[in-house]
Amino acid sequence: MKPLAGLRIADFTVHAAGPFCTHMLSQMGAEVIKVETALRPDIFRKPHAVYGRQGPATFDQVSSNKLSVRLNLKHPEGVALAKKLVSIADIAAESFRAGVMARLGLGYDVLRETKPDIVMVSVSSSGQTGPESHFAGYAPLFGAWGGLGYLSGHADGPPVEMRHVMDHSVGMHAALATLAALHRRRRSGLGCHVDVAAREVASSLVGDALTAASAGVTVGRMGNDDMTRAPHGLFPTVNADRWLSIAVSTDAEWQKLAEIIGQPQLGSDPRYATQSSRHAHRRDLDDPVAAWTGAQKGEAAADQLQAAGIAAHLSWAASDIVADPHMRARGSILEVTETNGHRRAAVGRPARFAGDDAPGITRGTPALGGDEDYVYGELLGLSRARINALVDDKAIY
Amino acid sequence: MTDKPLTGLRVIERASGVAAAQAGRLMCQMGAEVIMAEPAGGTPIREEHPLLPGGQSALFTYLSAGKCSVICDPSNPSFRQDMDKLLAEADIFIDDTPVADRTALGLDETTIATTHRHIVHLSVLPFGAFGPKAGWKGEELNLIHAGGEGFLLPNGLSADLFPDRPPLKIAGHFAEMQGGTTAAMAALAALWTGEGQFVDASVQDANVAVGAFGIQRFGDGSVEHRLTRSFKFGGVIECADGYVELLTLEPRQWQGLLDLLGADDWAQDASLADEVGRSARGAEINERIRGWARHQKVEDLVSEAQTRGVPMARYNAPEHVLIGLQETARGIFSTLQTPDGPVKVQSLPFRFGPDALPVSETLPSPGADQSILTGDNGRRASA
Repeated sequence: MKPLAGLRIADFTVHAAGPFCTHMLSQMGAEVIKVETALRPDIFRKPHAVYGRQGPATFDQVSSNKLSVRLNLKHPEGVALAKKLVSIADIAAESFRAGVMARLGLGYDVLRETKPDIVMVSVSSSGQTGPESHFAGYAPLFGAWGGLGYLSGHADGPPVEMRHVMDHSVGMHAALATLAALHRRRRSGLGCHVDVAAREVASSLVGDALTAASAGVTVGRMGNDDMTRAPHGLFPTVNADRWLSIAVSTDAEWQKLAEIIGQPQLGSDPRYATQSSRHAHRRDLDDPVAAWTGAQKGEAAADQLQAAGIAAHLSWAASDIVADPHMRARGSILEVTETNGHRRAAVGRPARFAGDDAPGITRGTPALGGDEDYVYGELLGLSRARINALVDDKAIY
Repeated sequence: MTDKPLTGLRVIERASGVAAAQAGRLMCQMGAEVIMAEPAGGTPIREEHPLLPGGQSALFTYLSAGKCSVICDPSNPSFRQDMDKLLAEADIFIDDTPVADRTALGLDETTIATTHRHIVHLSVLPFGAFGPKAGWKGEELNLIHAGGEGFLLPNGLSADLFPDRPPLKIAGHFAEMQGGTTAAMAALAALWTGEGQFVDASVQDANVAVGAFGIQRFGDGSVEHRLTRSFKFGGVIECADGYVELLTLEPRQWQGLLDLLGADDWAQDASLADEVGRSARGAEINERIRGWARHQKVEDLVSEAQTRGVPMARYNAPEHVLIGLQETARGIFSTLQTPDGPVKVQSLPFRFGPDALPVSETLPSPGADQSILTGDNGRRASA
């Protein structure tokens, strides 16, 4: 049995970060009921031309496993139905701008009256409080605010914008916080309001640099360099745009690498004998290493280096990951059949559990409102006539 | 909330890398008692850069504030006995010992499951404990590229400037941090079952998970590439005194941007009326934005943009984050006294009530809490 089987989530999240949180929890067994409306579909369910194509973006992955109901939260009956849904849930998750849920009549104080031990999870760009809590933001902005974007990039270049990994990292942190809040509820009987600030997630990922900066130590953009390791970087292989990452941590690894690249004299050269001196002369080592890698096939070179105890891996595109036997064996990549019959690769469970080896995803993207009979009928006990009336009144819309 | 959510839990952490230590950090800051079982001389993380002026690791400081430390060295004859003693009273065991070394140390899945059935045994390894690559080594650089995101970076302005350079990592320990956060989440999920079990977390898996968009695009028939996945306009924009990030996804945000730019001439072109048309002419739009922004000051620009509902942010240096208006108002930094003097440590990026959870002000020296093993009431030493 999946570890979170029996938990239910009323999911009001939109875009990427919030839905990824509930998606992670669903892969571990929680029942997630996604609340949507045809009035304003999730921007990621809609075509998304900013990426240069007319098709949905991340919606399929993060909506997998979920149930979908329509609910017009600008209709009083819609709000009333949302409260009913929360009353049978363990978790209410949302990712609107700070204050929107309260304006809809669904703030934490209201939901707590409906379900005293509810765990409400709010995911927002800057948090629920503070002078900039109303700021609009997406993943690249989270990275910019938090210092992560500033610190990423070539030493002689501009900052680098963070993309979906930033959103999804926020969602991962939100899922963790949600589970912690549930453990506290189990211990104390108390629910709470979990406030996840995306920009704080970004800054927490460079927390060491912030701590250093607070002591007057400057940390800047470093490209692919490491502060102590050398050689350390991306090296060309015999195939175009197939780059091999190599990270040498110890003197012994360096001596093995020098042998492998056919330059044993470098392994005994005093300029490169210790980590600190090797790092000081690291640019000298780029060409000898690249000369060897440039004649190698990437996967074979990675195998050879790993066999010698040296950390190496190709820079993988999605096509490499999807085809990888290791990822398939772990259930980290699996095949999903969509409701239209289309089969696609998807990212599976976030970890392997000894007590459960079921695939993380068991169904594809739900149709908008595709699970209303189950949710409104079976779970909430509404009659067919009542559901029809709410549909006619556009409370369910 | 007055109490931390994981109060009452005890966690044993054997971490030589960032991912396992990050899992322990998150649990510690949420109230668990986290005891580092360190080798003689301490975990190698204590030596990792960046260093504070006095030589102490800022990375270790960040990852380990509030944890306890006992020395439990594998070369010591009492190692197994000491580990058993620690694990007997723990709820979660975090371990990044390489798979090949575990059996000899009595730390393999079967031994722990037999001897300590109650415990959630959280394995945190670069490529996991199971599968053809379970024995592979992986540093941060390798893992960000094994997870797929490295191949896609940089994009936007940096890709425009350096299209021939190799792919680029994200700053710091992004990939390992994802591994640690995901591992902690999985451990709490396993704990929810009320039964002990082995949990196999992989840093690569965690990064593929947060990079799921690329996998989905592949399933839809396309392979993303760093030189072609840039936003069609917006992105990193250079100003007179720094950089800002600009991203407009909604029509109202586009209108706000036009108002900000004062673009009442070229923007009236009918072909820019919808997203598809704007995407098609993204390069031209960006040229106009970049030319205009080069003469603007960052702070003024961000303020004007956000007033108009245009998503824009300054690329904050660490020094900016430390004194940020929002960060200060939300109290996300705690001050820690170290031999290097006071330093700031960020608290968790989430909270369970109105206030940030405070970061513990203690940083243990190796073996500072040896009395946990010996039963002595010795005085605790700080790092």
